[in-house]
Amino acid sequence: MTDSIDKSDPVVRGKIAQRFTDAIPHNRAIGLTLISAGPPDVHTRLAYREDFLGNVKAGLWHTAIATTAADSSCGLAVFLAMPGMEAVATLDLRMDYLRPAVAGRDLEIVASCHHVTRNVAFATAMLHQGDSGRPTARCTATFMRTGGSVLP
Amino acid sequence: MSASRHDLNRSLSGTAARRLRDARARGDYKALIDAIPFARFLGLAVVDEGDARRYVMPYRDTHVGNAAKPALHGGTVAGVLELAMQLETLISQTQPRLPDPVDFTIDYWRAAELADCHVAARVIRAGRAIAQVQAECWQGDRGRPIAFARGDFVLRAAEASALD
Repeated sequence: MTDSIDKSDPVVRGKIAQRFTDAIPHNRAIGLTLISAGPPDVHTRLAYREDFLGNVKAGLWHTAIATTAADSSCGLAVFLAMPGMEAVATLDLRMDYLRPAVAGRDLEIVASCHHVTRNVAFATAMLHQGDSGRPTARCTATFMRTGGSVLP
Repeated sequence: MSASRHDLNRSLSGTAARRLRDARARGDYKALIDAIPFARFLGLAVVDEGDARRYVMPYRDTHVGNAAKPALHGGTVAGVLELAMQLETLISQTQPRLPDPVDFTIDYWRAAELADCHVAARVIRAGRAIAQVQAECWQGDRGRPIAFARGDFVLRAAEASALD
């Protein structure tokens, strides 16, 4: 039944993506919200919170919270690129911190899955604060296909 | 620029230096953590172990990534690893403020169970401008690490300090 899901249909993608992000307690804890599930790209947003600051005096986000948002968003992009409801797990992930994210502004995450093989999937994400031409970070991640379903 | 000049630039003065020195002498890094909202958000603690430091992220329900498996969110593990590397660089290299990360890479070796995370971080090389750092995360068994991370951080000469 799950194999018949059409993940290229924007409405279906949106519904699956919403359930996927809502089902992750830590995503709820940080307030990561789905803006668009594509296709092709997944767009999420992390609303600004003082809790996310690394440097209060300079008014800058801590970089590590961007890693969490990127991991979740890439994971969703990969999940939507695979047939069925197969669960994935992050194998490795790299962040390049291109410029600081400033306090008071949200963080936008645009994630893409580029390729799926028998065992792994490759994804990237760009993070910015409203101007995609001035990204704050770039993420490259590899995910492992688990073979198991995300459904209980 | 001579090595001694670097050392001079690296040395701290004023309140920041005193606080960092006091923290090291007393093995109490709570004030450092308190100055970083995101470290507080994750519940991070620093345990003084004489020559080394251990960074701890206590288990919290809000850190769960997969309730069915169950497992911690990989982002929280990445968070404690990056903060540990950053704090270790700050402390061991007597930096005037929290060093900015250039990049960060994590390898996930095992799923993170619903338990505390412990991290040991080591500055592999501290050059003129960049420190190269590695860290490992484990839970119950130090011999079975769950993740490994590496990162580069910008080193700075002593100046106005975020620790003031």
